[in-house]
Amino acid sequence: MLGEFEYLLITTAARLGDNAYGAAIREGIEEIAQRKCSIGALYTTIERLEAKGLLTTWMGEATAERGGRAKRMVRVTGKGTRAAKEFYDAVMRVSSGASWAVSRPERLS
Amino acid sequence: MTSTLWPLVELAARPLECDEREAVLGDALESGDGTWQTLSSVFGLVLRRQLLLWKSWRPWLAVFVLGLPGAYLLMIVSISVTCTYDRLMGMKVGHWAPTGHEGFALLLCHIFLLIAWSWASGFTLGSLSPKTLWLNAALCLLMVPICDDHLRTMTLSRFAQYLFLLPAIWGVYQGVRTVRLKRTTAFLLAATITVLMIAAWTNGALWIGNWLLLCPAWFLVAMARGAGNDSNAAQNTSMAGRARSY
Repeated sequence: MLGEFEYLLITTAARLGDNAYGAAIREGIEEIAQRKCSIGALYTTIERLEAKGLLTTWMGEATAERGGRAKRMVRVTGKGTRAAKEFYDAVMRVSSGASWAVSRPERLS
Repeated sequence: MTSTLWPLVELAARPLECDEREAVLGDALESGDGTWQTLSSVFGLVLRRQLLLWKSWRPWLAVFVLGLPGAYLLMIVSISVTCTYDRLMGMKVGHWAPTGHEGFALLLCHIFLLIAWSWASGFTLGSLSPKTLWLNAALCLLMVPICDDHLRTMTLSRFAQYLFLLPAIWGVYQGVRTVRLKRTTAFLLAATITVLMIAAWTNGALWIGNWLLLCPAWFLVAMARGAGNDSNAAQNTSMAGRARSY
């Protein structure tokens, strides 16, 4: 089972698609989760997820705005997608009936 | 980003892997983080990386079982060799009591053993846990004043106890690059050291604690690669592979 931050990272990387790399993922997490994301937490988590086979990484292109430094590109693997789906389903199941959980449309009808 | 302080950030990022350093510094520049924020982020990442290394048994073995006790024993041997040499040259040595009966043959044996022990210890440290070598060096430096008080005699040169350093550094350098010896090379080295130690021991020229210095040589035999197995951990260039290295 994924951890919360691992889920955030995988989901953000999946949303970014081909543009998923360190700075973009960090910005995405900070924007969605409304909290600071440290470079240390980001890169150690990327490494851990890669070791588990949930992500793959490779060195991408260098750009001028990065001072000519290359990006570390990230892609979610099939195994990573399944792990994220499991986490999402588990959260949805465990949340059903909780007062803060948003009711699903079918329940409202 | 304050450009004048940027070299400080680059310096802090030095312990990171080359690709990771590239990505992290690039991300910091792209995100427009302040210098101090980047500096603390980089320190945080370096600290996390160092802490993760200690989840393995390798750094513990390298630093606390082989590194520190080995350095202390090698300092004793270095002084012993210098004392024996000085006595044979007719110089006054002071209160230091040598372990063996003095003679050129035993002196040569001791010199060879000192070089072999130092090289094998250095190689083992370099191959076992290259990323914690800095800690090994720092702890050994901290040990120097203690050893100075215990070991050095007034008549000996200040550098007498560091004779082992050169072969040890050479061993570390080769250990980091080669990682594993061929089985025959490792066995020959360990067997030669063992035979010479037995010869020195039977002549009363070896302190019982010196037997601990045999461990790195036989550890190299245990870790050696066979003739048909050319796989080498240092050649693993994938990012995950490097993350798992110590």
